Amino acid sequence: MFVSRSMTRRVVTIGPEASIFEAQELMAKNRVRHIPVVEEGDMLVGIVSDRDLRSALPFRYFKEGISPEEKSKLQDLCVRDIMTRKVFTISPGYTIQDALLVIQNSKVGALPVVDESGRLKGILSVRDLLRAFINVLGIGQPGTLLCILVEEKVGQLKKIVDAITEMGVSFGSVLVARYWEEDKRAVFPYLLTQNVAHVKKKLKEMGYTLLDPMQWYMDQLPEEDRPPDQPKS
Amino acid sequence: MKRTGFLYDERYLLHKTGPYHPEVPERLTAIYEGLAQGGLLDQLTRVPAAPADLQWIIHVHTTEYVKRFEAACRAGKQMFDSPDNQMCAQTYETALLAVGGILEACRQVMEGRLDNAFCAVRPPGHHAEASRAMGFCYFNNVAIAARFLQKQFGLARVGIVDFDVHHGNGTQHIFEDDPAVYYYSIHQHPSFAYPGTGREFEYGRGDGYGFTKNSPVLPGQGDEDYRRLLERDLFPAFADYKPEAIIVSAGFDGHRDDDMSDTKLSTEFYTWMMQQIMAMAETYSSGRLVSVLEGGYCLRRLPELARHHVEILLNG
Repeated sequence: MFVSRSMTRRVVTIGPEASIFEAQELMAKNRVRHIPVVEEGDMLVGIVSDRDLRSALPFRYFKEGISPEEKSKLQDLCVRDIMTRKVFTISPGYTIQDALLVIQNSKVGALPVVDESGRLKGILSVRDLLRAFINVLGIGQPGTLLCILVEEKVGQLKKIVDAITEMGVSFGSVLVARYWEEDKRAVFPYLLTQNVAHVKKKLKEMGYTLLDPMQWYMDQLPEEDRPPDQPKS
Repeated sequence: MKRTGFLYDERYLLHKTGPYHPEVPERLTAIYEGLAQGGLLDQLTRVPAAPADLQWIIHVHTTEYVKRFEAACRAGKQMFDSPDNQMCAQTYETALLAVGGILEACRQVMEGRLDNAFCAVRPPGHHAEASRAMGFCYFNNVAIAARFLQKQFGLARVGIVDFDVHHGNGTQHIFEDDPAVYYYSIHQHPSFAYPGTGREFEYGRGDGYGFTKNSPVLPGQGDEDYRRLLERDLFPAFADYKPEAIIVSAGFDGHRDDDMSDTKLSTEFYTWMMQQIMAMAETYSSGRLVSVLEGGYCLRRLPELARHHVEILLNG
């Protein structure tokens, strides 16, 4: 769950004296939207985003191109002039949760990762975070989602996990969510198996209520957003 | 009445899974009994099963995988690649025999000796990837059959309809870049059900883009939702594609009494759906259709489901 595991290590960087056209070409070529600006020794001094470039270049540059005269006038404009100097950064030891909160609060699309001395170690973009969460949720691993209603008291999850483990079934992930009834929780184990019929039977025998997952989701959605043919409350 | 082939061999019962496993030999005996009670056995032409020639299997699976599977089986392993894939000493031979029988059914249909066929085989196949066993499946029976139709009979367009309640990840992946095979699957939504693939936005890739289509169904939905999705997705797709033969991955586990899924299909719906698939085979494929058993675990419902399935193959 640490940033160092999820960040992109091979970062496309640029120097502060480079022209903005260089920055633009670098972005297009590498299909990135953020380029950290570094000085000698990978010391981070700023970041330049595609939005910074769009504000600096005439709109026509991206549409039909601009005349050589116009271009030579802009040639002197360098990355240092348009980059953001006050950069939101994180350290490799941040957790993914930390990074999510920083991204949420700072409203930026990517966070340079720097060590204690300010040296660039990597970059973490919204896309990297999405990939990390796809992993955490086990999306893409073959499995089946169960939906169990439990009373909110200590030890419930343990009983469920023990029962499922005894049957030799592995977990991809477990989510615990609030339920609309007080003192109840909805538990969503994602089981790495196709063979869930006997697991469901056992849980029912233990006295748990298996929720119809649609019912649970639907109660969280406003009526107009519900798929067709679903029960309206 | 059609000349309908029926593939069934008692050796398909020899593949045994462990305790708490729903993919049991009794599934096949239930199907056989259902056909017997319906008086259908006399109207069917039995298709003999012999072990498949490995040359056909390695058009789909890697040689390394086939060897690994055989070795695991010979070594007496009780599990292969995933805890879902429980096996016994006869599993490899049984899987070979399933493929062999299906290819024989395909051959007889292509040579005009049969109009269509139902293959009641174990183990099932549609989850098996090129080099990984998954979800009770070892050899991808249907994928091997489709390759056989391509290579042996030169078909340029094979249509696969997979109505097992789980997405046929193996079949989709094997053909995802091949426009000569159209893979259509309708199944419980992958966010809720195994194997977690088969989302609406998976359309194939490369040259095969547009020749894969998935209709995910939300838990709790039933006949009307399935009907709506088939009419929206499958019928126009096949009208456009005009497959020269149709292979059906026939899984009966979306039935409301089958506790492997949360969809609520009725027995009558399976009849209706199969009639539509038959009608498409008549219109586009000169009637050539081979149906291959995948899932379906409700021993109480399997006899009637199989009986109706075969009645449609016989009578349209």
